[in-house]
Amino acid sequence: MQKLFSDFVYTLRQQGLPVSPAETLDALRVAELLGFSDRAILREGLGLALAKTTDHKLVYDHYFDQFFRFAETTETLASDSSESDEDQLKDFEESELQQLSSDTDALADEGSTSEQDAIDDLSSLSQMLLSDDSAAMAIAIATAGSEQNVQQMQIFTQKPLFTYRIMNSMGNEQLNQELLELDESSELGDRQLALSLRRGQARLLDQVKDYVEQQYLLFAEAKGTQLRESTLQSVKLTNVDFHYVKHMSQLVQKAARKLASLHSRRRKIRKRGMLDVRKTIAANAAYDGVMFHTRWRSTKVDRPKIVAICDVSGSVSRVARFLLLFLYSLQDVLPRTRSFVFSSDMAEVSALFKEQEVEAAIGDIMAKWANQSTSYAKALEDFETQTLADIDSKTTVIMLGDARNNNADGRADIWQKVYQRAGRVLWLNPESSNSWDTGDSIMADYRPFCSSLHSCNSLRDLERILGNLLKHS
Amino acid sequence: MIAKHADKVASPAVLKQEFDKLGYVCSDSIATAVYLACQLQKPILVEGPPGVGKTELAKMTAEYLGAPLIRMQCYEGLDEAKALYEWKYGKQLLYTQVLKDQLGDVMRGARGLDESIERLQSFGDIFYSDDFLEPRPLLQALRQEDGAILLIDEIDKSDQEIEAFLLELLSDYQVSIPEIGTIKAKSKPIVFLTSNNTRELGDALKRRCLHLYIPFPESSLENDIIAKKVPEVSDNLRKQLVDFVHELRQMALKKVPAISETIDWARALLLLNVETLDPQWVKDTLNLLLKYQDDVEIVEPEVRKILAAIDK
Repeated sequence: MQKLFSDFVYTLRQQGLPVSPAETLDALRVAELLGFSDRAILREGLGLALAKTTDHKLVYDHYFDQFFRFAETTETLASDSSESDEDQLKDFEESELQQLSSDTDALADEGSTSEQDAIDDLSSLSQMLLSDDSAAMAIAIATAGSEQNVQQMQIFTQKPLFTYRIMNSMGNEQLNQELLELDESSELGDRQLALSLRRGQARLLDQVKDYVEQQYLLFAEAKGTQLRESTLQSVKLTNVDFHYVKHMSQLVQKAARKLASLHSRRRKIRKRGMLDVRKTIAANAAYDGVMFHTRWRSTKVDRPKIVAICDVSGSVSRVARFLLLFLYSLQDVLPRTRSFVFSSDMAEVSALFKEQEVEAAIGDIMAKWANQSTSYAKALEDFETQTLADIDSKTTVIMLGDARNNNADGRADIWQKVYQRAGRVLWLNPESSNSWDTGDSIMADYRPFCSSLHSCNSLRDLERILGNLLKHS
Repeated sequence: MIAKHADKVASPAVLKQEFDKLGYVCSDSIATAVYLACQLQKPILVEGPPGVGKTELAKMTAEYLGAPLIRMQCYEGLDEAKALYEWKYGKQLLYTQVLKDQLGDVMRGARGLDESIERLQSFGDIFYSDDFLEPRPLLQALRQEDGAILLIDEIDKSDQEIEAFLLELLSDYQVSIPEIGTIKAKSKPIVFLTSNNTRELGDALKRRCLHLYIPFPESSLENDIIAKKVPEVSDNLRKQLVDFVHELRQMALKKVPAISETIDWARALLLLNVETLDPQWVKDTLNLLLKYQDDVEIVEPEVRKILAAIDK
């Protein structure tokens, strides 16, 4: 029982539900209270204790059904097939009897008693197959499964191996031996027995296959997802295959949501620090100057004001999508973000981001502005006329770009103006620092006018930089 | 508290039936949640869109168990002084003024500062005793002899500090007051927390609670609810209006109508003696269902179409 439960919780954790041990204990108590007679109620009850957001509830519902389906299906399957089997067996018996009509009744009696003896001599697996006890069978499969550590399964090619191992662990070899012996025997009863055992064996194999398949879905599939996620997080953006873009955007949004919940509220530091004498006296004037209420100097930590500029020109076309994705998430997290894109002309896309879904917005931008030749000079001139006046000491300016300017003048003087006005200037370059200033990259021109420079070419970098940005602003 | 009401919360089925009698039609999951909350003595965190009866659930439980309902409405800036307790500053001040002379008497004849302080200390902390304590909702709930239903409404609107501060209360049913010590619940209250999901709640808080999500109800359940709340409405009209509201919920609106709006609408139609829904009546009363002009403008041209669809 507890084993079953911990397996279930393990499954849920694999799917990303943060189920704590305390919650597992709660779930156990819930199960004790509600009993196992009413599946629907139990499902609701466990859901209350284990899944704590609507997303998690969906996952939970799905896996509850999957996890506890096994017992149910085998039961129905077994009852269906056993009926038909019995019918077939009867038909078979009748026909055999007709063929052997010349034999006396006494002989038939003898046959049935010897059959009984033969069953008693058989191994436990064979007896189980003959008795058609589906519950016992399911338990036996599950036991064999845990003996063989079926949860360690990693990839789908291991499925036949585990099926084989479980069959053997349940005594399949002995069963085969017995079948051989029965085949050799010339008695009618033995041959019948062998026939029904063969059927049972085939049915068992199907059940074990089902079981292994289900275990694979429960345990191994999620491992694959986890592996993919952690790889995608650290792989260079330039190397991510187009195929994974969708997964990637989910990951970026996941990261953005995490950051949003951490940082989206204003903080006020109060009740500590310096006593604000003026306010305290004012507040206590009513009490004859007796200091009942103290007032403290408070510091407000406000959400940062951000201006983000993204290069979408040909040279960064491979990463532009991700940078935009990042920009989109940034605007989601920090509502006071203004976003700009440029190849040569600069355009503000804040409104576009607000109005459209991420895919549509990025598609629009890529179609309108991307893949033209770069001109930082033109872009910065545009930026100067459009936005420079709005930048103040509370603003953080983020530039996402590779500073590859086709060997033209980069107008670093404008960037200097930006640097002088803004609180902080960050430059995130998708190239690694080794390739800065090689070829037509003019990173060195801008370098003096940046508070910090980072090479940013994986999701993990993005997350780390964004996290720091929020923490220190 | 539970020992007293053991028979009232014997099983989810009993709860469902009794709530039904009181006029609160609930689904299996709601009944199970209340049952488990009572039996395990764990708080329930109720989430769901506005107007599906989250607050109503707490009220109904209080009515059913005959326990007082203590409600704490959360908002940005709510702090300990308003949630838990406060010293009665005014009273303290007044008493010190009145007792000034008495103090003089007590102190008379004391030689030196040391002796004065010693005498003062022998009185104990009079001014920080129970008499000067103003209990706020949380403390009130802990002090109820027979237990209470504590409703912490819209917890997502409060600051994160309050959330952290609630953790001790929710897991151990006790709070610490620096001047007095730890106060334990005389009888554990049943706690309902509601949230509209304006922000994500902390994991620590969620871990301590059972999590109940109340979605918009199925048509049949909503039918039952309307039948319970506005019994005078004819079967035909009720079915029509429930179907109509369900169609609205499929549309992309700023705020889709919830159960409470459906009930209001049913009452209004009853008042207007409407027998069956026709486009004119719907258009005239649409502002009961939709709370934004934009939404009304989206729906109005579609009314005829929706009515045709639900008649099929």
